Amino acid sequence: MNALVRMRLAGFLRTGRALAPLLAGLVVLGTLYGGGRAQPAEAYGVSAVVLFPVIAWQTKILLDVEPDVQRRLAQVAVGVARERLAGLLAAGVAALVTVAVALLFPWLVGGVTGPVDPGDRSIPVGLALGVWAHLLAVPAAVALGALASRASVGGAGYGVAVLTLGGVGAVVLGLSGSVAPWLAPPIMAAARTTGGDAAALTLLGLSGWALAWSAAVVGGYLWRRRAQG
Amino acid sequence: MRLEDVWLRYHRRGPWVLRGINVHLGPGEVAVVLGRNGAGKSTVLQVAAGVLRPGRGRVTGRPTRVGWVPERFPADQPFTVARYLTGMARMAGLGGAAADEAVTTWTDRLGLSAFRSVRLPELSKGTAQKVGLAQAMLRPPGLLVLDEPWEGLDAATRELVPELIAEVLAADGAVLVSDHRGETVRLPAARRWLVADGSLTEETSSADETFAVVEVAVPAARVAGTVARLRAEGHQVLGVRADASTATARARPAAPQVRPAAAEPTRAQSGADQGADPVIEPAAGEAR
Repeated sequence: MNALVRMRLAGFLRTGRALAPLLAGLVVLGTLYGGGRAQPAEAYGVSAVVLFPVIAWQTKILLDVEPDVQRRLAQVAVGVARERLAGLLAAGVAALVTVAVALLFPWLVGGVTGPVDPGDRSIPVGLALGVWAHLLAVPAAVALGALASRASVGGAGYGVAVLTLGGVGAVVLGLSGSVAPWLAPPIMAAARTTGGDAAALTLLGLSGWALAWSAAVVGGYLWRRRAQG
Repeated sequence: MRLEDVWLRYHRRGPWVLRGINVHLGPGEVAVVLGRNGAGKSTVLQVAAGVLRPGRGRVTGRPTRVGWVPERFPADQPFTVARYLTGMARMAGLGGAAADEAVTTWTDRLGLSAFRSVRLPELSKGTAQKVGLAQAMLRPPGLLVLDEPWEGLDAATRELVPELIAEVLAADGAVLVSDHRGETVRLPAARRWLVADGSLTEETSSADETFAVVEVAVPAARVAGTVARLRAEGHQVLGVRADASTATARARPAAPQVRPAAAEPTRAQSGADQGADPVIEPAAGEAR
């Protein structure tokens, strides 16, 4: 299965399709950090929100690069379950690279600052919360991108619709006072938490919520793949 | 391997492409899947290979290692031939050295050595098809599924396909082949499965079945297509010859000549399992 993960990542990189989401990610990060300096935890919380649709889109592109017949050849070679898992893992690896860029980016452009007031969080704590917020977004974004992939939805139009609905829904349904926040991954709630009171129980709860949401969407992806044959 | 009451359709509310197929293929057996375009030959093959999942029914006893050669190799990939085949070999579970050795063996054998560093999209259709053949053979398969394997191949490689099939059979593997060009005449020992209207029937032969030679005249321009169609329908084409008496023949009432073949020393009779089939000899000016 590792060979399939490597092959899919290589295909993603060699076709140059990785450039579009990378540039999009840099643009949103540049916009985010271009307005001034913020403390790490707060900045990273927002960074995870804006990267959510970028990573989902990146996942869709990565999974769509492989021709349909080659995907079937891979399925014959490694089996159905491993073929599915290899796609998600490859997308996860690509997403982690994007997250690493996002975590490094504000330090390169001077977008973050250390504690200003006595009650402010230290840089290591802010960094840890930022890593947590991004890692919370990764499985949800990968799951959404996989659900929007060609192998799952068939036509390109449906894929774009799934991505758009998922991206917009994550923000809109995640706003304070939302009537159905559980329909979206908790990336907005995570951003609020990193910028405010980050109690351990809250972090644990949000992590469980994110994993449950991701598992449900991955379940939908696998069901769609099964239905698509 | 056994397909048990297999039904399949491509869309939830679509028509059933396969309807209740029951068939068994044992180790050391080869079966040729015949049928018209769109009859479902590729679908049967993909169900057998594990690419498609039956809507109803099940496939049991599928060997662990399956080699599948798709009808059209997906050449739109950013890899060289060597890089792609190495990746497929690793995917099939071969270690680094074993993968390199398998890739070298099969690129040499299929005449791909000169193309090792060529990117897949730059290959001709026939060369890409050879890569498709190579990827299926990198690790000896317990089931080899070949979807129109002769399509686009040069003469030398076409001759190699029955050889590869024989090797898989000799290692107690099973082979499924589809063909609409009549190339499976190269596999005289093959069982013949005919797919039509979503059903699969096996053509059986009996030693004492009587058969006949039918001479058919067709326009020279349509010889290739007619021969391919007759073979796809399971007939044995004995040969093609120019008909000097075409003009005379046109003047006569058009009646096919049918005669018992028992007295005819034809190639069909010398073939092991093919003698029971109807024997049809189209008359026109092009060898097959």
